[in-house]
Amino acid sequence: MKVDELEVMRRQLLLFAQDLQTVSLAEKERRREAESAYRELHTAYINMVRTLAVVCEMKDNYTRDHLDRTYQFAMALTKRVAPELAEDVSIGYGYLLHDIGKVGVPDHILNKPGPLDEDEWRLMRLHPLNGWQLVQGIKFLGDATMIIRSHHERWDGKGYPERKAGEDIYLPARIFSIIDTFDAMTSNRPYRKALPIAYAMEEIERAGGSQFDPHLSAEFVKMCQELGLDERDSTESLTIVR
Amino acid sequence: MGRTVLVVDDDPLTREILATILDLEDYRVVLAEDGETALDLVAGGRPDVIVLDVMMPGLNGFEVCRRLKDDPETAPIPVILLTALDRSEDAAEGAAAGCDAYLTKPFSPLTLIERIVELQAVREG
Repeated sequence: MKVDELEVMRRQLLLFAQDLQTVSLAEKERRREAESAYRELHTAYINMVRTLAVVCEMKDNYTRDHLDRTYQFAMALTKRVAPELAEDVSIGYGYLLHDIGKVGVPDHILNKPGPLDEDEWRLMRLHPLNGWQLVQGIKFLGDATMIIRSHHERWDGKGYPERKAGEDIYLPARIFSIIDTFDAMTSNRPYRKALPIAYAMEEIERAGGSQFDPHLSAEFVKMCQELGLDERDSTESLTIVR
Repeated sequence: MGRTVLVVDDDPLTREILATILDLEDYRVVLAEDGETALDLVAGGRPDVIVLDVMMPGLNGFEVCRRLKDDPETAPIPVILLTALDRSEDAAEGAAAGCDAYLTKPFSPLTLIERIVELQAVREG
């Protein structure tokens, strides 16, 4: 090859390299934009679901703290026992929306300052299936809709709405039933004061194998001990940061 | 289906490079190694754009371009001359032959793609 041909080739290669750099920079920029758009969309989703959940809570006598606390506890226990599930954002949405079916329960039942009668219980027990049906349009939630449907099932099969038992109950729903019960016990209710945390922890442990998955209730109690919860008076303004 | 680009160049390496670049941009590529073959291919099936070398054995690129532009059937097809001839007289001769764009080698693939897109846009209004 002649010297000037080599020179032409050299200049051609240089131009290719410059074009490649231009394309590569543009590609990086596009990827950054796509990632930031995804993050914005994700935040918007979370906020939408959270708003939806808060709207439901407003009907209930709980405060929005209940939602934040149960979400944090449930995510913490999920990370502990099933880290791969904790990576799935839809699980978190499921926890936030667990009681969405309560929009269909009349206010006077939700806020009744005392035990419910038979008819009232019948209506109350509809909320998991009603809620599950409500979110069927949100394809994004996937299996997490089973949290809404099954969070009142019991390990021994005596829960509702389907009397499922043991591992037939979706794992995050088994997790959430512990968290929900614990939070109910340690919150002030229309008809009683909050119970002491240490007492609630004992109750959760005792109900392992009957109401709750025994492995999960043991892990929950261990987690509470590690967080030093048994030393605390209440779960008010509690933050579990992981 | 993507647009079809007819690439005419006697150098196999240049043909291969152009085919690779255009393929990346989803063009269908038809290759010719001399002017006569190119004219036959244009008569057979109209390409959307022609990328044409100038210095080739037999018919040179200026001549091929002139014949294409003289025929009302093929005149609307945009022709890009891609050549190592970089003097202004060469570009003027290209213009006289009726070419739609004149690019010199070594060339930037991005610029070539830009020209093709522009010429398509002009042609389709």
